[in-house]
Amino acid sequence: MQQFLEIISKPDNIPIILLLVGAIFFSWLAWTKARRNDALEVPVEAALDDKVQVWPYLVRVEFLATIAVMAILVFWSVFLDAPLEEAANRALTPNPSKAPWYFLGLQELLVYFDPWIAGVVLPTLIIVGLMAIPYVDINPRGNGYYTFKERKFSILVFSFGFLVLWVSLIVLGTFMRGPGWNFFWPWERWDPHYVAVLTNVDLSELLFNIPTRLPDNSINPVAMLFGAVVVLGYYSIGPVYWMMKRKDDLMQKLGLVRYAIVSFLLLTMGGVVIKIILRLAPMAFGLNPVKYVWVTPWFNI
Amino acid sequence: MALMEKFRKTEFYKSIFRHSYQDTQRNRALQIVDNVFLHLHPVRVPRHATNIGFTWGMGGITFLLFLVLTITGVILMFYYRPTAQYAYEDMKYLMNDVPFGPLMRNMHRWAAHAMVLTVMLHMFRVFLTGSYKPPRQFNWVVGVILLVLTLLLSFSGYLLPWDQLAIWAVTVGTNMARATPLLGHEGPFGPELGMRINNDVRFVLLGGTEVGPPTLLRFYVGHCIFLPLIAVIFMAVHFWRVRKDGGISGPESKKNF
Amino acid sequence: MADETIDTPQPDAPAAAGGSTPKISPTPLPRKPKQDRPPEQDPGIWRMNRRNLLSVAGWMGFLGFIVVSTVGALRYMFPRVLFEPPTKFKAGFPQDYVVGEVSEKFKDEKRVWIVREKDGFYALIAICTHLGCTPRWLPGDNKFKCPCHGSGFYKTGVNFEGPAPRPLERAMISLADDGQLEIDRSIKFLYEKNEWGRPGSFLPFTG
Ligand code: HEM
Ligand code: FES
Repeated sequence: MQQFLEIISKPDNIPIILLLVGAIFFSWLAWTKARRNDALEVPVEAALDDKVQVWPYLVRVEFLATIAVMAILVFWSVFLDAPLEEAANRALTPNPSKAPWYFLGLQELLVYFDPWIAGVVLPTLIIVGLMAIPYVDINPRGNGYYTFKERKFSILVFSFGFLVLWVSLIVLGTFMRGPGWNFFWPWERWDPHYVAVLTNVDLSELLFNIPTRLPDNSINPVAMLFGAVVVLGYYSIGPVYWMMKRKDDLMQKLGLVRYAIVSFLLLTMGGVVIKIILRLAPMAFGLNPVKYVWVTPWFNI
Repeated sequence: MALMEKFRKTEFYKSIFRHSYQDTQRNRALQIVDNVFLHLHPVRVPRHATNIGFTWGMGGITFLLFLVLTITGVILMFYYRPTAQYAYEDMKYLMNDVPFGPLMRNMHRWAAHAMVLTVMLHMFRVFLTGSYKPPRQFNWVVGVILLVLTLLLSFSGYLLPWDQLAIWAVTVGTNMARATPLLGHEGPFGPELGMRINNDVRFVLLGGTEVGPPTLLRFYVGHCIFLPLIAVIFMAVHFWRVRKDGGISGPESKKNF
Repeated sequence: MADETIDTPQPDAPAAAGGSTPKISPTPLPRKPKQDRPPEQDPGIWRMNRRNLLSVAGWMGFLGFIVVSTVGALRYMFPRVLFEPPTKFKAGFPQDYVVGEVSEKFKDEKRVWIVREKDGFYALIAICTHLGCTPRWLPGDNKFKCPCHGSGFYKTGVNFEGPAPRPLERAMISLADDGQLEIDRSIKFLYEKNEWGRPGSFLPFTG
């Protein structure tokens, strides 16, 4: 526990504390504003509909905010030094060795996915997915004010992505991943010699005892087929749902292209969660963690 | 005081300040319109746009931090040499012997962290108020580009101290590029397309086959010149679009005037 | 051709009639410059004809210039010569190594472990196949453990735990003329490509 406090108070970890506090505070703020607007017929901002002059009413807010930010920043910089460790040494990897804090969520995903997924495909999909939001969210309500009632689905999905998959993975990566990238509870000491015995198995091995590799180390076609069925089957939930619901009003308005994009992105987001569970859940039952769902000669998922 | 009055009447003064400072509606408007910096703003805004509870001020604070980073960054450049031989020494020198060196480096470092934080919160707010909806779709896209640029700026700066923290974070980070599908020499279908350790995307990023002196130089140029330039261009578009898309978003009924 | 008629100068009737010098026979007005063609009539550069051939050629040249400059700029970013340490080095005499031991002598400088087994030598490259950290040799647990994301490798280099997708790489090892071990890091042998049986991946030696 004492060590946990030390880690929390490391200067380089302050942004993460701020992130955590900020995410909670602003979620709460937005939530209260949304509830208030939802209770009223008209959003508060619409009721106060007059204009004010920028000079002085906006400029003074900006001026005060600038002073406040600068004061905090100078104070912060006077009392806490930016870290400077030993000179670079290619032969000695510090243990644990961490990416900058804002990438720790992605670094955490490296535990569950091969680098080409965690390091390249998922970040690309996050960026592309974010850019796609305005074009796939066709709900015209909730434009320019806080509300929850009028856009429940989009707010829930985005908040799950931001608060759970982004912020909490960063927090977890910073405070609970110790030497060897092992997981430590806050009350545990970071023991550099701690050895977690993790023997990986693949999904086909865990479920049906079908080995993914043949004795001569080549890929077992049966396991490869099994993986393909699982992964492609998972992604076909999207088309199947479309076939069932295509007469729906919402589906009609969304159109096939938007629907395809949304379902692909949502299934991928869900897939990340599922893969994490596949890795962690078997250990709770004393089984080996799942490494891959689909193994091929070219890539593994 | 009288002297000041006299000065106000000179041609010189009037050539700089085009209107009096008396508090009138007209002068308030002129204050914005006649000032190259302030005229980024409209003359009048909806009342809720001045409410920090609505915008959280996060976009503006992000921009402020960017300015702080530009200034402190330029100051650091006076003492920092981007070579493997000197970079770490210069950092030590800045932290121990340069007057106000630690303050400048600390401010640069903490402002960089803070900017990543505020840009994320800004995005969160824009999402929660639904401000990406028509007509602001494209400005959201510009915003995502700015988010990526902010992360890249921060990440490229991370290497510059050339200490253990720096090279290992960057080693791990850039090694992911090995695994880029098609373009990395260990990525799916990369080797099949002729990618090798000395011709794939990672090689261009590093300027070599491992994180070394050429990498430091590449990241330095990217961090100090290329990325800030691109970011400034996109910020200009971003701010311009905020105005062109009708100012800060608000509920429908405000559009009446 | 439709656009032909547009460029033909039209006699400017009102000007000729109401002009101050009616006696002079109306000189044809100067040919209207090309730009004056109404935009709706502009054939665009994609409809190639006699008139816009030059314009098309110009745009093609412009495009070609942009493409070539971009390719050139990209090529500029791929250096031809690298100033990196030599990959080939001598590693002392085989007798200096203890059977069963993983030698870390060249780990710092060259990032290679030299492993001596009963029947010979192999050289493992000390770069984690996950994301390139330097793993540690833990003699007590008889394994390599990577500090970055926890990958574990047996002494042979084969991965068995954590995120590493494949075993450590082996480097070329041979005996030089002077009897010393010689290692070339630029020649690698990958287990997953079944290359560990090839000559150079293992140096048979008993003595
Ligand atoms: C370098 C990064 C950025 C800077 C300096 C910046 C700056 C600003 C500023 C000053 C505003 C005015 C309103 C406010 O302060 O909230 C604004 C509005 C806006 N920003 Fe950003 N921003 C950045 C990144 C982003 C990102 C990452 C997004 C979203 C992905 C985004 C999307 C928007 C949108 C849609 C608006 C209009 C909001 C409205 O009208 O209510 N921006 N930005
Ligand atoms: S770099 Fe070795 S486990 Fe990730």
